[in-house]
Amino acid sequence: MNSWLMHHTQALKLVIRRFKDNLFSNLFIALTIAVSLALPMIVYLVLSSFSGLVSTIKSDSHLSLFLKSDATPTMIDSIHNTLATRESIKQFHFISKEDALQQLIADNNNQDLISSLTENPLPDAFFIEPAALDSAAIQQLKDELTQLDGIENVQVDDAWLKRLGYLLALGKKALFVLAMLLSFALFTVISNTIRMQILTQQEEIEVSQLIGATHRFIRRPFLYSGAIYGLIGALFALMITSIVIRLFNLSVSTLAAEYQTDFSLLLPNTDVFIITCITAIAIGLISAYIVVSKSLYKSIN
Amino acid sequence: MIVLDNVTKRYPGSQDALSNASFSIEQGEMVYVTGHSGAGKSTLLKLIATIERPSNGTVLINNQNVSKLRESALPYIRRKFGLVFQDHKLLYDRNCYHNVALPLAINGITGADAAKRIRAALDKVGLLHKEKVMPITLSGGEQQRLAIARAVVSRPSILIADEPTGNLDKNYADDILKLFGAFQQVGVTVIIATHDVLASANQTHKILHLDHGRLTYQQVTADE
Repeated sequence: MNSWLMHHTQALKLVIRRFKDNLFSNLFIALTIAVSLALPMIVYLVLSSFSGLVSTIKSDSHLSLFLKSDATPTMIDSIHNTLATRESIKQFHFISKEDALQQLIADNNNQDLISSLTENPLPDAFFIEPAALDSAAIQQLKDELTQLDGIENVQVDDAWLKRLGYLLALGKKALFVLAMLLSFALFTVISNTIRMQILTQQEEIEVSQLIGATHRFIRRPFLYSGAIYGLIGALFALMITSIVIRLFNLSVSTLAAEYQTDFSLLLPNTDVFIITCITAIAIGLISAYIVVSKSLYKSIN
Repeated sequence: MIVLDNVTKRYPGSQDALSNASFSIEQGEMVYVTGHSGAGKSTLLKLIATIERPSNGTVLINNQNVSKLRESALPYIRRKFGLVFQDHKLLYDRNCYHNVALPLAINGITGADAAKRIRAALDKVGLLHKEKVMPITLSGGEQQRLAIARAVVSRPSILIADEPTGNLDKNYADDILKLFGAFQQVGVTVIIATHDVLASANQTHKILHLDHGRLTYQQVTADE
């Protein structure tokens, strides 16, 4: 155990020293890795910002239940009772046609138009906030309510939300593809870097093998090297992402203010950071392992 | 103890580099492997050092049949040997000290313990004052001695040297051979391949003479 730990610290020290020796070029390699990581990270954050927006708006979304103009108070009461017993309804309120007219008069400046009305054209209405937010459940609720006695029309005001939802689903697929392609890029960058390192240390590897170094001993520093490229790349990626998102947010919040919301893009949180680090380190380790194993296999034959 | 029994080594697409060689080397012996160049000296050394595996026959190192060992077990066997390569195989990207440190690092020895051993090895070959020097600036003889320091730093029980005096003038060559003699006297088995006539070999020693891959000559001389 002790010698195991010693071998590892020894390899790590060696790798850090070599990293420092070529600090400038190594930082550039890490930056290349960072860009590959930052792109999917930014796309992910933008998408999840919009998903958050969709769910907050959805909680505002409601069904409007317009009654037939000849609906009697008994019918209204019976609908009221039906709505009160439904679990799929979070809350609802009733606005009578008189109240609606009063509100219209209060909101509207064109008093002439209103005073010219001979009778109240507005229907009685229930406004319902559903408990479930997914569109299938809302659609089902709508179908059920339409069949009630005295209902003229049920309106669901989530058509544009649906479209945004589809767009986001498409965006998520695009993100997946982007992440896949860029992991290949990452893999290539790290493999090539490690391959170059192997070439410059070919003699050392050869001599070490001749005097009794195990494959693990030879592989170890390169694995650390791959992992460190991944880690530093992830840290740079976090920096790049934070800067880019902050830059976007300057404009986004101005735009959002026009729509009376305080929407802004999310900054990377701990989860995003940890996942990015783990992914980058894993890709670094795997590519280093493959490249070194290939070169060890070659040197035997 | 090293035993070769009926060992043949054939490289693909060529005739036997070594055919039907049988001999044994006891602990603490001084052995010279002689013969013209291309006679199979290096092949023989590589077979002993488990760098090559025999095409036929058995190689026993301390009663372990090397031919039957798994690939992953070979590194541990190789650590029993101190190797001095024909072309030194020094690493020119680091100084003398760190060249000698390599076998210790492979054995998991670092820090103060390693430093003591490295300086002792450098002292033994007379290069202690050059520990910080890059090997490229050393003379041929000094490079050879540095290679020997690297070979002995992990205190191997068997020292193998391939043409250690090859490119050296006679004075240097004598120094080197004396150095090997000193190791043999403290109980290390020393195996040296050479095409030179052995002028300075005045200890008890064994000669394995190779001719076109055949072991034709084997004798023990004891001149007192």
